[in-house]
Amino acid sequence: MSGRQKRILVVEDDDTLRETLTEILRDEGHEVRAAAHGHEALGQLDGWEPNVILLDLMMPRMDAFAFRTRQRELGIAAGARIVVVSAARDLESAVEVLGADAWIAKPFRLVEVVDAVDRLFSPTG
Amino acid sequence: MTTEPDRTTAGQIAAQPPGEETFRLLIEAVQDYAIFLLDREGYVLTWNRGAERAKGYTASEIIGRHFSTFYTPEERDAGRPAWLLSTAAEVGRVEDEGWRVRKDGSHFWADVILTALRTESGTLYGFAKITRDLTERRAAEEQHRTLVAEQHARAAAEDALKARDRFLSIASHELKTPVATLQLAAESLLRARELGRLDDARIETGLGRILRSTERLGSLVSELLDVTRLSTDRLALERQPTDVVALVGEVAGRFSDVVENEERIRVDAPESAVVMADGSRLDQVFTNLIDNALKYSPSGEPVSVIVADKTDGVTVSVVDRGIGLHADTKARLFEAFSRGDNASHVPGLGLGLFITHQIVAQHGGRIDADVGPDDTGSLFRVWLPREAE
Repeated sequence: MSGRQKRILVVEDDDTLRETLTEILRDEGHEVRAAAHGHEALGQLDGWEPNVILLDLMMPRMDAFAFRTRQRELGIAAGARIVVVSAARDLESAVEVLGADAWIAKPFRLVEVVDAVDRLFSPTG
Repeated sequence: MTTEPDRTTAGQIAAQPPGEETFRLLIEAVQDYAIFLLDREGYVLTWNRGAERAKGYTASEIIGRHFSTFYTPEERDAGRPAWLLSTAAEVGRVEDEGWRVRKDGSHFWADVILTALRTESGTLYGFAKITRDLTERRAAEEQHRTLVAEQHARAAAEDALKARDRFLSIASHELKTPVATLQLAAESLLRARELGRLDDARIETGLGRILRSTERLGSLVSELLDVTRLSTDRLALERQPTDVVALVGEVAGRFSDVVENEERIRVDAPESAVVMADGSRLDQVFTNLIDNALKYSPSGEPVSVIVADKTDGVTVSVVDRGIGLHADTKARLFEAFSRGDNASHVPGLGLGLFITHQIVAQHGGRIDADVGPDDTGSLFRVWLPREAE
């Protein structure tokens, strides 16, 4: 399990969904931190570099696009893989703009989140 | 009917200043205007080619007949021809537009100028009448108006479609989040059992999340139903004496139970302010307004609710220091499926203000919105009449 274990930042404005995502990823043995919007996420990246950022698109205060811009400007967590998690339509173009590695459309099953993270680090993926 | 000027006449016209005969010939030849003379009583004295073309009579058929022949029976009964003559005689000139009747009974839209003719000493001896057939122009204008109206209607329909599409996309987005949570929370409980971690605390948290998600779904669905009902029907209001002050206090209290809102809502109100209203619907109004104020302002910023008891009714103002209102948003604020462009990140269907507006209007009241004091945030003011209308 320890080889699979990753540091994951969950950025999602819906409290209940954020808590649930955090819980299921911890169940899989990952180290998880959470943020309710982009601004809070930048705070979490201070001195902590995640392997994966699960990123909601539309959030109050700072959305995914503003977050990515600021993150690049600051040059922090540059190695983190980005997985967009959203109910928005046309996720492919958002993925391209954000320079993301994968996307999960809401609603989704537990196995989809767990697999999406695993796939990012599988030798064939 | 009229004599064509021959080469010699044309030569004469060019060679010397025009005389009376030249003018007579000119007027007779004009085809686009009916130009003719009436005597003092309104009987036709002269006729030209334009008059024949517009009205259908030849000179021999019409000279000596009264000019009221050109009017519809309704206009004749109303005394329109006589009124035109007396007005022209009085003020010198009168212009009129309306339907006139041709010899064959068909109607045409005419622009008429009637000028009184007087001798040098001032004695009235008749009238000059110039009539222009504007039927084609009127039809063209009518067609243009219809076209513009159709364009407006089409644009409005397209806007409504776009608004509906935008709404459906917001609605599906909003519904997907609680559905996702519901799904994950249930799966997380199953996974915890697989991992042998399903203790009481985990069950309680999991079920709590499931309940919150179903509540969220339930309230989204009733909001959708409210809108459908409000768009088509009137609400069945159960009006009874309702103390607005007590109601506002109750709603504010409900929000203050949530820790982060504690002490944020400041109520400024008299002892009581009673109106005839449906308490549960008014509860919805104040809940929506206070919820918006909290949702659209940064955490910690205060929200003021001011109740004022006036002679004919009660006003309730909700003031926040939030993102405020754009001028172009203000106009569409109370429409269904509209929401300020600066509010796209705020969760919800964007139907709250439409519902609020409908409830207030059906109470015979008014609601308006403005930029808050000091040009920050927003101010929503509800006025409710004391008595039911």
